[in-house]
Amino acid sequence: MTIAVCIDDKNGMMFNKRRQSRDSELIRDFVELCGDGKILISSFSEKLFADFQDRVTVDDSFLDGAEEDDICFVENADVTPFAERINKIILYRWNRHYPSDFKFTFDLSGYTLTESKDFEGSSHENITREVYVK
Amino acid sequence: MIKNKKLLSLIIALCMIFILPACELDIEGEKKTDKKTSSVTTVTSSVPKVTSEGPSVDSDGNIVYTINSVPEFTSEPFVAINNNVPYFTDADYMTKAYESYGDLDSLGRCTVTLACVCKETMPTEKRGNISQVKPTGWQTAKYDFVDGQYLYNRCHLIGYQLTAENANKQNLITGTRYLNVDGMLPFENMVADYVKETNNHVMYRVTPIFDGDNLVARGVLMEGYSVEDNGEGVCFNVYAYNNQPGVVIDYATGKSRLAGSTETSSEVREYVVNTNNKKIHLPDCDSVSSMKDSNKKTVTGTLEEFIAQGYIPCGNCLKGA
Repeated sequence: MTIAVCIDDKNGMMFNKRRQSRDSELIRDFVELCGDGKILISSFSEKLFADFQDRVTVDDSFLDGAEEDDICFVENADVTPFAERINKIILYRWNRHYPSDFKFTFDLSGYTLTESKDFEGSSHENITREVYVK
Repeated sequence: MIKNKKLLSLIIALCMIFILPACELDIEGEKKTDKKTSSVTTVTSSVPKVTSEGPSVDSDGNIVYTINSVPEFTSEPFVAINNNVPYFTDADYMTKAYESYGDLDSLGRCTVTLACVCKETMPTEKRGNISQVKPTGWQTAKYDFVDGQYLYNRCHLIGYQLTAENANKQNLITGTRYLNVDGMLPFENMVADYVKETNNHVMYRVTPIFDGDNLVARGVLMEGYSVEDNGEGVCFNVYAYNNQPGVVIDYATGKSRLAGSTETSSEVREYVVNTNNKKIHLPDCDSVSSMKDSNKKTVTGTLEEFIAQGYIPCGNCLKGA
């Protein structure tokens, strides 16, 4: 499966059970990148995809049930237990420092960076999208 | 350690008790344009009053809150207070631009700052010069291992990116680079980007905490809450430490010295460093046994030189070093 994660300069994902940040342009970029691929999200992420309801499948156990070609947008889950099934990682970097108490600790050493692209978000000056492949 | 925690709690309680009567805020919702005349006349809000006892109600009917304990600084730039729930009450919330900067106290120190942050309060131009302001305890001190070398920054209580305040002496304290960049800036970024993205309002209050008549704050209490979504987007209550790893600060005057200037820290000996979080420990420290092998590295040298390399002394085994 493919996972997509948003992180800050310190690999942070969440603080006080809330996402660090959000950006509608990032979501649009992600949906576009996924093409016709099946996008899985948890109910926590549902509001972010309000404009793309027909493109996402909401399932709180989405990581358990994800198939090889599925794309999981992950905000508040540790993906480490699913390492063996993750063949691609889409990493969005906010290029900002936010507070965090939940971090992305996944080991990327077995993956190769195949793409890096900077773009302007709706509320962020510069977001970097990186794609890593096993 | 426990004694120190209690002491700091008491200090904060006492500081808040003394600070707050001078900082009661008008929340009529009008943005004050003349900061020099923003003295307070109307009391309509329950600005948090912090005591060493449990929550209660004072003679004016205001809820009195508690900070039970603020742990002594170790290695994290901030710590959650009251489970990250801010001390705002329903009467505090508003959905229009508002800023208030409390009067300086009798020692010239900053007091409470409060804002309802929204796009309207945010800057439309780059920050101006603020070097003419000399906050209490201001000293010029440089250390090679400090980002930018200067120990102290003129530290905005409410960050420029939120309310566009430049040289407002009621909003600038003597703060370490560590407080400014690692303690406060992440929260300012989070609030600023949330407001830009959602066009919502965030209640935002920053209170400097002074110990007695000290001229330099021990830390700042930072509270934030997004109004329209009832805190779903932003909700925090943290105490950020006005410390700088590797430097010992005299909070009474602002004077400082290199932590490694003691005889112990100049001694060549074995240490264990965590290459991931850049902490340095004595070999028998409890943290070493729980450290991942992949992050653990044994080194030999002086503490002074490792601090200069960017390592931060462990707050337990190298406390006071």
